[in-house]
Amino acid sequence: MKKKVLSLVLVAAMAASMVACGSNDAATNDANATAPETQAPAADAPAADAPAADAPAEEFDYGSGSITIWVADAVVDFTKTQAEQFIADKGVDYTITVEPVGEGDAAGNVITDVEGAADIYGFAQDQTARLVSANALQQISGTGFDEWIAAENDAGAVGAATVGDTIYAFPLTSDNGYFLYYDKSVVTDPTSLETILADCEAAGKSFYFDLGAWYNVAFFFGTGCTATYETDNDGNFVATDIDYATNPQAVVALKEIADMVASSAYQQGSSVDAADATKLAAIVDGTWDAASAQKVFGDNYACAELPSFEGSDGATYHMAGFSGNKLLGVKPQTDAGKLKLCLELAQYLTSADVQTARFEQVGWGPSNMTAQASDAVQADPALSALAAQMPYCIPQGQYPQGYWDAGTALIDDAKSLVGASDEDIQAYLEKYVATCTADIQ
Amino acid sequence: MKKIASFFKWIGKDLKDIGITFGDGDWKTRISYLIMGFGPLVRGYFARGIAFLALEVLYILYMVSFGADYLAKISSLGTVETHMDLTTFVTVYGDNSFLILLYGVLSIIITLAFILAWRMNLRENRNEELAARENRKVPTVKEDLHQLLDNKFHVTLLALPTLGIFTFMIVPIIFMVCVAFTNYDKQHQAPSNLFTWVGFENFKKLVSFGGSGFGSTFFSILGWTLVWAFFATFLNYFLGMAVAILINKKCVKFKKLWRTILVMTIAIPQFVSLLYVSKMFAPDGIINSKLLEWGWISQALPFWKDPMWARVTIIVINCWVGIPYLMLISTGILMNIPEDLYESARIDGANGWQMFRKITLPYMLFVTGPYLLTQFTGNLNNFNIIYLLSGGAPQSIDMTGSAGKTDLLVTWLYKMTLDDTNYCMAATIGIVVFLVTAGISLVVYGLLPSVKDEEGFQ
Amino acid sequence: MAKEKKLHKQHRTLDSVISHAVLILISIVWLFPFICIVLQSFRSYDTEIGGMVGYIIPKHFSLDSYAWLFSKDSQFVRWYLNTFIIALFVAIGQTCMVLMVSYSLSRMRFKGRTLWMRICLILGMFPGFLTMICLYFLLKQFGLTQQGAIPGLILIGVASSGMGYYVCKGFFDTIPKSLDEAARIDGASRARIFFTLTIPLSKPIIIYTALTAFMAPWCDYIFASYVAFGYSDSYNVAVALYRWVNTNDYQGYFTRFCAGGVLIAIPVTILFMCLQKYYVEGVTGGAVKG
Repeated sequence: MKKKVLSLVLVAAMAASMVACGSNDAATNDANATAPETQAPAADAPAADAPAADAPAEEFDYGSGSITIWVADAVVDFTKTQAEQFIADKGVDYTITVEPVGEGDAAGNVITDVEGAADIYGFAQDQTARLVSANALQQISGTGFDEWIAAENDAGAVGAATVGDTIYAFPLTSDNGYFLYYDKSVVTDPTSLETILADCEAAGKSFYFDLGAWYNVAFFFGTGCTATYETDNDGNFVATDIDYATNPQAVVALKEIADMVASSAYQQGSSVDAADATKLAAIVDGTWDAASAQKVFGDNYACAELPSFEGSDGATYHMAGFSGNKLLGVKPQTDAGKLKLCLELAQYLTSADVQTARFEQVGWGPSNMTAQASDAVQADPALSALAAQMPYCIPQGQYPQGYWDAGTALIDDAKSLVGASDEDIQAYLEKYVATCTADIQ
Repeated sequence: MKKIASFFKWIGKDLKDIGITFGDGDWKTRISYLIMGFGPLVRGYFARGIAFLALEVLYILYMVSFGADYLAKISSLGTVETHMDLTTFVTVYGDNSFLILLYGVLSIIITLAFILAWRMNLRENRNEELAARENRKVPTVKEDLHQLLDNKFHVTLLALPTLGIFTFMIVPIIFMVCVAFTNYDKQHQAPSNLFTWVGFENFKKLVSFGGSGFGSTFFSILGWTLVWAFFATFLNYFLGMAVAILINKKCVKFKKLWRTILVMTIAIPQFVSLLYVSKMFAPDGIINSKLLEWGWISQALPFWKDPMWARVTIIVINCWVGIPYLMLISTGILMNIPEDLYESARIDGANGWQMFRKITLPYMLFVTGPYLLTQFTGNLNNFNIIYLLSGGAPQSIDMTGSAGKTDLLVTWLYKMTLDDTNYCMAATIGIVVFLVTAGISLVVYGLLPSVKDEEGFQ
Repeated sequence: MAKEKKLHKQHRTLDSVISHAVLILISIVWLFPFICIVLQSFRSYDTEIGGMVGYIIPKHFSLDSYAWLFSKDSQFVRWYLNTFIIALFVAIGQTCMVLMVSYSLSRMRFKGRTLWMRICLILGMFPGFLTMICLYFLLKQFGLTQQGAIPGLILIGVASSGMGYYVCKGFFDTIPKSLDEAARIDGASRARIFFTLTIPLSKPIIIYTALTAFMAPWCDYIFASYVAFGYSDSYNVAVALYRWVNTNDYQGYFTRFCAGGVLIAIPVTILFMCLQKYYVEGVTGGAVKG
């Protein structure tokens, strides 16, 4: 009898809660069900058949609703102002929410719950393939916006937004590369790695260089190795060309890394603010840290392209690098009106004027070629150092998780490679490549 | 085995009982087999009848409108793929494997609950019938309700907690156990992609070596998890006890001050203090820079870079976290040890160490045995310390995925969930953690002297 | 004899000196990180460096970091209130749940009682983060993520808290059953006994339960960030502070992190200090009962 009443209560409560979530889901089902209805008239409209960017679509019904945008904290206010301006000019009934979700987190969050994610979000290009394979990016090829993207942005940026032969995002910046920030009073010659380390050692200061997979190609690509991947149209990695295990130059590169790590001046890191400011004398870092670096170095602030180093084989190599981009993606939409508006908004936020304005406000280097040509951009010391480094860089394509994992492992393993024999180095490289290729299907 | 046998016996008995109720029952009871609550309604017990009937109606409504759809798809977890309309570029979502699995599991549970309700409905009928035959009175609804505040007060009290545990603990766990048998990973992410059943694939992958197997990483992490839990538990235990004994010494003044200083550290949120401590030990952190400055070392100590260093550092810092708790606990228990035990030992000429070994330690171990066990299993899953201090670092090329040398199974599980969105492997690891914890608990629990009789304590 | 006594006394003094020296050393080790955090929080973002530095005592003391937390640029006050609301409701809800479960299991004997306890024991062996993704989507079905994250977090904090009944049940077990029986003979119902007899006797354990429940949400950054999911109005302080030190977007927020940490620690520590007596009782009782 006791059990009976307990179970009764339980079942009743369960039933109640089931009905509650049932109706809740029914509501979302309804929402989904109405989506095709709203699509239907849109599809009838002539503009909707081929919504081209430049085609004026006066009668096009955007409907109403809200658009959420995720961007880095630094540009939240900027983006909000611009987006609201756009909506007001357009005269559509949409509200804009801008949330600070950094490019690093955005992709992971979007993949966790595509439905709950922002409609437009900024992300770093290394996530493109992952986002495409998770169906979290609206395909842009075919919508008409792809032609605009290809015409307005530099080739590297267009490549970053492309998976297989399809464009999936709007390039936002072309400043995702790295170069050298240094303290003029400590570093006498920024063109040689050996001198930088010696200067830092002598002054009891530190040289920061990140050994993660994004940065360590400075050595590997610098000595002439390659590491590229191929994806299919769904964002899956299907082939790789990575020669670290077979190219003897990779041994030279890894030995140089080990030599650098052996120096007492060496510190792992690529963030001015995470570094000990009292010790920092030189750091390999990107434009986003320009303000912090300026503050730490004060009058001795200087930038330069990456240095050269003398390899174990006696030859001199110039450090290479990746040139990458930040992109603005649109989440796949179920409503044609909102989709068109999102695409137009993303186009606006990555247009020449807005990119120039963004550069002026927060210093992000534009991907748009018109914006790149502006005098202010040309005169920026950090961006010119980046530009000087550019000839040694390769545009960063798509890389799988395993590739990045291998780099993270190298950060911690590097110390154990100091003074290692050629055989050990070779054995390590083989394991490295095995990790890099773990995701190939 | 015995339990399983008695379970089947119980089922058999119950089935027989259902048969008797039918064969022996009148038409009202028999109709109640189809229409729940019919018997009580006709016999005039309206409240109960309506309750049963309402349950049946609700169940059918739920199933027809919602549950059946999901239940039907549970064997495949959905077949309709998400695709993009090629003319409008609008995305049309297909089946959502996640929701199918979730609601499928729910529907199965609800169906089981419904069967239970149906069985209760039969028992009620039987009870009413027998009562009528024997001229017994069936308790009124009012009496039943009153019982809920008295003899059956536990039903009232436990209803809400049970519902909470059921919805937010049991259902998710059953769901995640199911996920361990699917291929729900980054390539198969609902709602954009479908996932499906794969059987024991994930478990095989977890223990297989070479290729894409997780075997070597898994066993390395499992080993460290056990070593960590051992040291974290016993080192803290003995050091905490030592500090408590130290403060308890007769000659020590300001006992309260010392205790307060230690206890204060409990109050400060761990994620603030541990994050800071982790930065203190960084290669360019305060400890290394001071040591370098004083010329004690010429190279930064690899606190987080070398596997051995990192593991020892973590265990030491964990003492910093754990000693205050153990100090508190030991202090309380030490005070309960009868003073005359020590007196007589002293008369027999025992020294401090002997007294500790012969009196204090056995007493402590006896009293805190179960606590040590829960501490040990708790440490197996001690997420915060590892995550905030080292984040699993140092990583190594020898480890699969983003696992590091100080990762515990539980932090690895977290990385799988968040960084790789590899939910099926995360669920698999979760099940393994459960098995390890349960196994250790079962073995140790039986050995504990103080776990004899629960009532004995009262 | 006198010499021996003197020796003994010397020995005692030495013992006392060593003990105190060790205790002072321990205190320094334990307090050092906290002192560092407090000192760093007074370093200015504008005139010095906001990031990590190799020295502890700031060159110039300033309240910049605190001022920034309360300025318009930061949502810190909102996050702080969010956390406070969550902590308050979780403390109330959890205490009720735990009391209800503990009373039933300690005072009443019914069919399924051991089964109930055994199921709780088994459930407790699953790692907590296992179900994170499922809980997220479960909450989402009820609309309790993102905008609804605060009630969602309260719900999660309270819902399955009945499982943590061990300490409280142990306490109830120590209240003599004869009291209950006497009241029963006087005709009091179980409910009446619960409300008028047991609860008033349980002040220490109620305070202990509420205190531990209140402290937990201040440290919850993982599940809280998951549930708030890119909706910054719903963050709690832990999520925000954690982002400041671990996301590259927030360069040089380290002193602000320290300042925020101090502001969180102050009320929790004060509360803790005031109720320390009860906490100690609870912890000790819990350990003895296991």
